[in-house]
Amino acid sequence: MANKLCEWIEDRTGLSKLLKAALDEPVHGGAKWSYIFGSGLVFLFVLQAVTGILMASYYSPSSTTAWGSVYYIQHKTSFGWFVRGVHHYGSSAMMIVALVHMFQVFIFGAYKRPRELNWISGVILLLFLAGFGLTGYLLPWDQKGYWATQVATNIMGTVPVIGKYIKILHQGGSDYGNFTITRFYTLHVFLLPISLVFFLFIHIALFRKHGVTPYWKMREDVLRDRVDPFWPDQIFKDIVFALGMYAALAGVVFWTRGAELQAPADPASNYLARPEWYFLFLFELLKYCQGKYLIVGTVIIPALALTFLFVLPFIDRNTSRYPSKRIPYFGAIFSGLTGAVVLTVLAMHHDSKDIHIIHQREEAEKQAARAVKLAEKGIPPTGALSIFLHDPIALGEKIFKESCIGCHKIGGEGGDNGPDFTNFGSREWIAGLLKNPKDAKYFKGSGAMPPIKLPDESLLDMAEFLLSQSVGLIHQNAERVERGKELVLKGNCVVCHPIGNKDLKKIAPNLTEYLSETWLKEFIRNPGDPKFYGTRNKMPGFDKLTENQLDALIQYLISLSKDRTLVSEKLGNRGYVFGLTAPRTMINFQDKS
Amino acid sequence: MENNRRKFLKIVSHSLGGVLAAGIAAPLVGLGIHPWLKETVYGTEDFINLGKLEDFPVGVPKKMNVTSSKMDAWNIFEGLVMGSVWVLRKEDDSLSVFSVNCPHLGCGINWGEDEKQFLCPCHEGVFDLNGKVLSGPPPRGLYSYETKIENNNVLINYKKLI
Ligand code: HEM
Ligand code: FES
Repeated sequence: MANKLCEWIEDRTGLSKLLKAALDEPVHGGAKWSYIFGSGLVFLFVLQAVTGILMASYYSPSSTTAWGSVYYIQHKTSFGWFVRGVHHYGSSAMMIVALVHMFQVFIFGAYKRPRELNWISGVILLLFLAGFGLTGYLLPWDQKGYWATQVATNIMGTVPVIGKYIKILHQGGSDYGNFTITRFYTLHVFLLPISLVFFLFIHIALFRKHGVTPYWKMREDVLRDRVDPFWPDQIFKDIVFALGMYAALAGVVFWTRGAELQAPADPASNYLARPEWYFLFLFELLKYCQGKYLIVGTVIIPALALTFLFVLPFIDRNTSRYPSKRIPYFGAIFSGLTGAVVLTVLAMHHDSKDIHIIHQREEAEKQAARAVKLAEKGIPPTGALSIFLHDPIALGEKIFKESCIGCHKIGGEGGDNGPDFTNFGSREWIAGLLKNPKDAKYFKGSGAMPPIKLPDESLLDMAEFLLSQSVGLIHQNAERVERGKELVLKGNCVVCHPIGNKDLKKIAPNLTEYLSETWLKEFIRNPGDPKFYGTRNKMPGFDKLTENQLDALIQYLISLSKDRTLVSEKLGNRGYVFGLTAPRTMINFQDKS
Repeated sequence: MENNRRKFLKIVSHSLGGVLAAGIAAPLVGLGIHPWLKETVYGTEDFINLGKLEDFPVGVPKKMNVTSSKMDAWNIFEGLVMGSVWVLRKEDDSLSVFSVNCPHLGCGINWGEDEKQFLCPCHEGVFDLNGKVLSGPPPRGLYSYETKIENNNVLINYKKLI
């Protein structure tokens, strides 16, 4: 029965004959590991297609929903993070394998007559790959994709005369918005795949027509006599390579715990954009082409390089495939490669030294974690950015910038009447305070407390104990707490500081539940209370802040150190502002009178 | 020799290919069936607050909007009117909460103050104060909801019709 059906289908379609012909394709000179890269690319492309299609069934292309839907894929489904990770790192893998493939066919001289069109279609495929990378990067609509793509569309704008129009066409308007996403999405999932498949078809058909180009030193008789069938000789090698690549990809995905998703794009922030690594050399190039020379980097050099690749088969007409006979072309291609590698390394090197970038990267990670936590409660229909409106930490930061920053510095910004709050409330911060309260970072001249002359480790023990009194200390170390307790309670601290009873008063602040949410709250309301600084106090009290605002401020203060977490995740003001653009500038104090 | 080698290569290729295909398919299927594994659209509250007990007059049904919030995948929609119900507070402060949709074909029913009956305008279904069918085509009495009173607030379980 099944046999009959097969026969019937075979009779009407000739499918298995076709398949057999494809599989028996002779590989002259024998199957080789050096031929695996082309089929490896086909495999990676299929992998991108299936992972992409699956994600498309969850993804929602609009400026208000894109981030939320990617967040959902990443954090709410069971395998979304993995599928997205494979797609993300798969694009890098494709880029790498495509370049290796290109250099392999270049070195073998496979671009020469009669394979000119094979080479040219290959260059076009490489351009499509770049297009995939560029359009895909924007789709999550997070900070990094949004700002890096701005650079790319601005580069389009530098093309003389038509640049402006090309840019508007890609953006779907004069600024980024819903149409930017729908257009990038259309390119990424319809136009580019269709075009790539079309050219891939041509590319492979031409390859089949002309056969593989073997190693240039292969002897004529070997080439004639050694003929392997494509299946299984070459396919075996191809499958091993595909499996190896997939295992490596899966490994990278597990190791990195999937692709990064930063906080939702905030058009009002000033984020330093960095493109994917394979565009970094172009990005770096722009640094050296300033002012009216910008166009040299954005258009002229890339156009020259591409033109060279396109015309290579026509200028290198020598029939010999020996590298020694093609020295100028080797020189050109490899100096191009070296240039790109040098520029990439330079770009990475700059960034790894640039304190702004490092700082921003840490900040971005924090923001991303925050965004994910807030999104857990649902994203308002006004868009992913609105989650920050509910965020007490963002509100707290705003209050801090209004009321506290005049005297307290954070990250080098702010006045220095009071202690520096960089890393406030961390183990390190407290140990530093104990070591020398009169330090410029802490109480300066007004420090009445004597420095504690103990080794750093003991100071850290004491800090561990002090912080252990309030809930929320991360990775609390019980041994340290015990040692610290000894030092604090049996040492001189308790001569001046009450500890253990919240209401006791001595000459120095009560350290019971030091820096806990309630301690901070009472302290900020009235630092002059006898249980805190008493008559020695120099800081104004902030009893005018509402309960909500105080909560938010304290959550912000606690978020300043990596050692502590928030105990109570209380929400600040509900009710979000419509037509919102930037959370930090739009939060309004409904209850500030 | 060559033939045996190729036979062996074929078997190995098939097995490796199978491992590869399974390794790729598993997470894809896992992601694809997500809506089987997890609720994607749901109301955020089981019991929805309709108001204070005092807001309801004794013995006269009052129509109330049911307002709650809904999670739709990543989105939360707050303050959504999900529908409305008839609330009847009885002498002993117990409550009956009826669906406004007629059990016949779903038209919205009204309270006839004069007749002291629920009336369905579509096919003249008539129900008494307790939701029992008095006349017309409806096959059963009015649908109702589980209710409870907490801190003087009237709450209903809007997810389940009884
Ligand atoms: C999406 C990207 C690409 C895919 C999927 C792809 C796929 C393939 C495949 C399946 C083959 C035949 C098998 C092989 O030689 O390994 C092939 C051959 C070839 N490809 Fe590509 N390719 C891609 C990109 C490129 C690029 C970027 C270039 C060069 C700029 C290129 C140039 C060639 C040439 C010249 C051949 C003939 C090789 C020979 O005769 O030995 N391809 N490609
Ligand atoms: S729908 Fe109410 S009687 Fe028919």
